[in-house]
Amino acid sequence: MAIIEKLANDLVVIVEEIDHLESVAYNLFLRGGVVNDPEERVGASLVLAELIGRGAGELDSRALSDAFDARGISHQEASSLNRYVLRCSLLSDYLSDALELTAKMVKQPRLPQEELASIKSLLIQDIEALKDNPSRRALVELAKLYFPVPFNRPVIGELEGINATSLKDIVALKEQCFLPGGAVLSVAGKVKASRVIKEAGKVFTGWSGEGPGIPDFKGFPKPQAYHIDSNSAQLQIALIYPSAKFGDHDYYAAKVLNGILSGGMFGRLFIEVREKKGLCYSIYSRHGSTAEYGTVTVYAGTTPERAQETLDTIIEVLTGIKGTISDEELERAKANIVSALVIGEESTGARAASNASDWWTSGRVRTLDEIKEKIFNVTIEDINRHLEAYSPLNCSILTLGSRRLELPVDNKGE
Amino acid sequence: MTEITVKTDVLENGLRLLGEPNPASKSASIGFFVKTGARDEDPQESGISHFLEHMMFKGTEKRSAMDITLELGTLGVQANAYTSEESTVFYGAVIPEYFQKFQELLSDMLRPALVQEEFDMEKKVILEEIALYQDRPHFYLFENALRDYYGGHPAGNSVLGTVESVSGITREMMVNYFKRRYLPSNIILCASGNFDWQRFKEDSQKLCGSWEKGQAGRDVTGFKPSSIQKVYYKEGLSRCHVLLMTAGPSVSDDERYAFTLLSVITGDSSGSRLYWQLIDSGIADGAGADNDEREGTGCFMLYASTGGENLDKVSEVLRKIAATPLEFSEDDLNRAKAKLISRIVKSGELPLGRLMALGNEWLYRQKKHSLKETIERIKAVSQRDIQAAVEKFGLNTWSEFRLLPEE
Repeated sequence: MAIIEKLANDLVVIVEEIDHLESVAYNLFLRGGVVNDPEERVGASLVLAELIGRGAGELDSRALSDAFDARGISHQEASSLNRYVLRCSLLSDYLSDALELTAKMVKQPRLPQEELASIKSLLIQDIEALKDNPSRRALVELAKLYFPVPFNRPVIGELEGINATSLKDIVALKEQCFLPGGAVLSVAGKVKASRVIKEAGKVFTGWSGEGPGIPDFKGFPKPQAYHIDSNSAQLQIALIYPSAKFGDHDYYAAKVLNGILSGGMFGRLFIEVREKKGLCYSIYSRHGSTAEYGTVTVYAGTTPERAQETLDTIIEVLTGIKGTISDEELERAKANIVSALVIGEESTGARAASNASDWWTSGRVRTLDEIKEKIFNVTIEDINRHLEAYSPLNCSILTLGSRRLELPVDNKGE
Repeated sequence: MTEITVKTDVLENGLRLLGEPNPASKSASIGFFVKTGARDEDPQESGISHFLEHMMFKGTEKRSAMDITLELGTLGVQANAYTSEESTVFYGAVIPEYFQKFQELLSDMLRPALVQEEFDMEKKVILEEIALYQDRPHFYLFENALRDYYGGHPAGNSVLGTVESVSGITREMMVNYFKRRYLPSNIILCASGNFDWQRFKEDSQKLCGSWEKGQAGRDVTGFKPSSIQKVYYKEGLSRCHVLLMTAGPSVSDDERYAFTLLSVITGDSSGSRLYWQLIDSGIADGAGADNDEREGTGCFMLYASTGGENLDKVSEVLRKIAATPLEFSEDDLNRAKAKLISRIVKSGELPLGRLMALGNEWLYRQKKHSLKETIERIKAVSQRDIQAAVEKFGLNTWSEFRLLPEE
C-alpha cells in the first residue's frame, strides 16, 4: 500500500515500503517532455535531460558522476514524450545521498555551455543509428505519421531541432519545466515512508512553481497506408488503431483483449501467424495509453516474399476476434496478465515506476489487488462492446522495406 | 539480509538439482540449464542447438505444441529459453501456487517428440530469425568477428547457423543430437524463490528419474589467439562499428572477478574510461567492454560505434586503452566494486535473476555461491590482483574488427 504526501511546495511524494528487499528505487517525474519543446527546437528537452547530468551545485560533471558511482547508485535522466523522468536505483543505505544528488540536478544544474556540442552530437548519432534498426524505425516513423501535432514528435528528437537548440533555449526550458507543482517523486523498497517524506522535504526545499500542462490532443486521422522504401532483409509491418485511454470504462477490457491477441505464446497473433504458418519470428501487439489517448499497435517483421500473407493473416485475426472469444481464452489471458503483473512488480524499480505513472495519469495510485480485481471482472461482453467502439478496421499501416503491401478492401475506416 | 542457503542434490542418473528457496518472494522460478550449444555442433549441424531449443515448445509424447502453449498461458508462466555457444537454458517464473505444475510441464518439454510437421514449420521461423538478425549491425559484427577470431575453434561457432546449414538439418540429425547432448549428467535443474525444496526434490525424481544415463562430454581444448585485422561491409549502414578482442579468462579461471571489474572500470555505461573518452565527448554513440568467458578459453573485448567522420579517432582511443589496461586508480576500482555489488544485489532480489546466477555458476564451476559470498569475492579484489590477472593473460595480442557501410 503506497503512502502519499504532498509537500508544502506541491511536490507529491509516494512511498511503498517493501521490507524483505535490500534495494530502493525512485522515479521523479517532471512536467514537460518532447511535446512541450518549442516548435523549432524538437529535441531540446533531450538536450536538457542529458545536460543536467554534466554537473550540479558544487559538483562538476566528473564529481557528480563519481558521487553516484562511489555509492553504486545507478541513475538515468531522460525526456520522454510527455515528461522528464529521473530514475535512481540503489542499496537503501544510500537513499539520502541519492535524493540529495537528484535534487541538485533539478534545482541547481550547472548546464555547462562547453558540454552542449558533445551532447548534441550524441543525440544526433542516436537519430542516425535509427536507420540501422528497422524495427524501431518502423514504429518511430508510424508515430510521426499517425499522431496529431505535437504528439507525433519523435521521442528521439529531430535533427534540425537539436542542431538549433542553444544554451539559452535550455535555460528557458529548465526554468519552465523543472518545478515541483505537478511533479511526483515515487519511492519503493526498503524504506520507511516517514523518513523518505522528511528527507524529500529537506532536499527539495527552496523550490517552488508549477510546470506546464499537456497540449490538447486533437484526435487521430482516418485510416491510411504509408510506405517507406528501405533496403533490408526483412519487411517491417506496423499497424495502429485507436483504443481505450487510461481511465476509460473499457480500459481493462482493452488490456484483456490485448492479452488474448498477444499474451505469452498463446496470443492469437502468435499462434496464427508464427505457430501455424511460420511466417515470422517477431510478432506482437501492444495496448498503449495515456490520460489523453489509447492505441493498439501491431508489429511484425518478415521476409518480403511472405509479407503479404503475414499482413492478411494479421488482419484476419484482428477482424475475426469479435464474437469468437471463448471462456477459456478469456481466463487464460487474465491469468497471464495478473501473473506477469505480480512477477514483474517484484523489483523496486518496477514498483516505483508503476506508482509514479498511475499518479501522473490519473492522480491516484492503484494497488496490485485493485488492478487484479478489475482484470478478473472483465467479461466477454465487455470486450465485444469495446470492439464495437474501437474496431481494428480503423487501422492505419506502415510498411518499411523493399515492398509495399495491399490493404484488404474493407479497410475503409469510418 | 535474510539468510538464504543454496541446496544441492544429484539424482541417480546424474541430473543435478540446485535450489535457493526464499519464502519472502512472491514468485518462483525454475530453469533447466543444459551444457550444450553451438560449440558442440559439427559443421553440418550448425544452428541445431538453437533449432532444438525452439522444438522443445513443439510437443512431447503426451502434449501437442498447442497443449504446451495453452498450458503455459493458463499457468501464467513467464517462460522463455535461450541458446548460446556454451549452453541452452529453458526457464520461467510463476506464482508459487503453480510451481509444481510448471515443474511437471517443463520437465515433460525437455523430452520433445520432434514431430515432423512441427519441425518443418519451425524451420521457417528460424530462417526468419536469421533474416531478422541480418538487419542488426551489432549482432552481425559480433557473429562474424567471433568466427574469425576463433578461426575454426568451436568457441567461434555461430548460434543461429546459416540459411544453408539450417535448411540442411533433418529431423534425424536432431534426434541424434538430442540423444548425444541432452543426457541427465549434462543438465542442471535449478529453482529459486518461493518453493519447497523437499517437494521439488521428490518431484524431480518422479519426473526426470527415468531419463537415460550417459556422458555428453565436450572438447575444451584451449585457444591461443593470433592478431587479426578484418573489415566487414554492409549495404545501407549509417554507423561504423569497431571491435577489439584479446585473450581473457575462461569460466573456470579465478581471474574472472578481476576481469569483470576491469570491464566495469574500462567500459561501463557510466564513469568508465570509455565513457569519459568517447561518450562524454560525443565522438561515439555507443561504447563498452566485456569479458566473454567460455569453457577452456575466453576473451576480453572493447567496442564502440560511431559516425564515419570519427572512425579513426575512436579506433585510436580503443587501441590506446587496449595498450594501457591498468591505467586506473584505487578510487576507480572502488567505484566499480560499488556499482557491481549494487547490481548483483538488485538482480538477486528477483527470483529469475538469482536463478540465472545460480544455474550458470553451478553449470561451469560446480560452486554454490550465496549472494553474500559473491559480494565478498568482489570486495576482495585489489589493484594488484587485476594487475596480476592482466599479466597472466598478456593482453598484448589484440585483433581488430570493423563493420563499415558498403562504399
